[in-house]
Amino acid sequence: MFQNRAEALALALPAAVFAAIVFLAPVVILLAEGFRNADSWSLVAYTNFFSDPLNRTVFLRTFRLGLVVTAVSAVIGYAAAFAIVNLTPRSKGQMIGLVVLPLMISSVARTYAWIVILGRTGIVNQALQLVGLSDEPIRFLFTETAVFIGLLQLFLPLMILSLISALENMPKDAIPAARVLGANWFQVFFKVILPLTKEGLVIGGTLVFTGSLTAYITPAILGGSKVLMLETLLYQRVTVANDFVSASVIAFILIVMSFAANLLLKRLATARNKR
Amino acid sequence: MKPRVFTPLVLFLVIGFLIGPFFIIVAASLSGGETLAFPPQGFSLQWVAKVFTVESFRESFAISMLLAIGGTAAALVLGVPASYALSRYKLPFGETVRTIVSLPIIVPGIIVGLALLRYIVVPFGFNITLVLFLAHTALVLPYAVRVVSASLNNLRSDIEEAAVLLGSSRAGAFFRVVMPNIRSGILAAFILGFVTSFNQVPVSLFLSGPGVRTLPIDMLSYMEITYDPSVAALSALLAFMSIGIVFLAERFLGFSRYV
Repeated sequence: MFQNRAEALALALPAAVFAAIVFLAPVVILLAEGFRNADSWSLVAYTNFFSDPLNRTVFLRTFRLGLVVTAVSAVIGYAAAFAIVNLTPRSKGQMIGLVVLPLMISSVARTYAWIVILGRTGIVNQALQLVGLSDEPIRFLFTETAVFIGLLQLFLPLMILSLISALENMPKDAIPAARVLGANWFQVFFKVILPLTKEGLVIGGTLVFTGSLTAYITPAILGGSKVLMLETLLYQRVTVANDFVSASVIAFILIVMSFAANLLLKRLATARNKR
Repeated sequence: MKPRVFTPLVLFLVIGFLIGPFFIIVAASLSGGETLAFPPQGFSLQWVAKVFTVESFRESFAISMLLAIGGTAAALVLGVPASYALSRYKLPFGETVRTIVSLPIIVPGIIVGLALLRYIVVPFGFNITLVLFLAHTALVLPYAVRVVSASLNNLRSDIEEAAVLLGSSRAGAFFRVVMPNIRSGILAAFILGFVTSFNQVPVSLFLSGPGVRTLPIDMLSYMEITYDPSVAALSALLAFMSIGIVFLAERFLGFSRYV
């Protein structure tokens, strides 16, 4: 440890001042705008925002989709992580590579693929018409289902990766022990695996949930103006109506959620380091 | 269900769901037809070729490259000394400094973009490209600090103290002893920053002006106008670029140690 304070400050301050000016200050001013009304502090913007049924729908939809995506990714994530940790080390590495791979691809490209798949002349519609299940194209794009599928594909890797590391940290003989003692697979999961991997589930779940809540591209491309979510609503309020007050309210909601999730993750990390 | 059946089935379905769309983009971009379709109608490289002829793609690609390289470099210039101070010095308000520089990862990008537009671009008339550059620098800063801090923490600090005791200046010790040892960490931070910045959409949404757009934003607006497969071709090319970079990084640096 070096003790020279002046030197330490000279090294650290440029980065901190830069982030404070370019980033922190503008965001704080933006958030403050939502609490101002005619030169005094007020919550008018918030009561107005939530009195509009459209805004309430979008707010609830964003949370609902976030929760559903998180729940479904947890179910699929456990199955996938469980399958992966039981592989030989070599194929385990390859599988983890395949799970990480999509994270490196631009989310525009990843979301765009769903247009090819779910569009009017997309694969799903062609298949349905081929087997005679439907006579004309069914509209999948611009529905909540499409946004759900897009978000799930986007964030599932994060859940799988957290669950893999949680399952690997589990005592190796916990499952065989439970089996020997007569537990069925249902009991093994809820009484043994789930309690022992809770932390990984919370970490993965938080990443998936906040990711879904604050996604822009997926709802923009797959939901359009028919299935607005908080971020696309924010964009629309600003570009269509110049409504910066609503934008500030939405920004505040998103930031609070994001910070809460981050705090939770930090708590878990420090709790784990202490053990 | 028997593990022999369960494991391959689950892996096939999940990996197919995660990777499949990528193959579909590649296939669609090799289509001979006029519209986006799968299975592709015939085979041709016309859409791949078209990507390179679209003027706006070329311009926005250059801007995105500039932002990704310049912004990441700037973030490292700010971030490396900050990481060094955080890991080697008793820094007053160290935790506050760490929080401030890592904030841009927590706050959703669209909010940053809007805030910069409203309180920096509009009132001060700053040039959009400059503000995009500042925004991308801020965005990459948390990654730079995190990755460089990690590699500094893995390096024993007594070797530089030894260098100082032997008469080197503090700066000399940093450049001659510390830098060579954290070089691959810095390179890893650069690659992570580059990929993050290049693929970044929300920050740049509000920060586009006449003739100034990042590539992903340009792709989004191109998609609104036409459904031809050139966006698929471009997406596939970009995906190959990212995968190639990450693959090489993993091969030569053991990239995953840092991320």
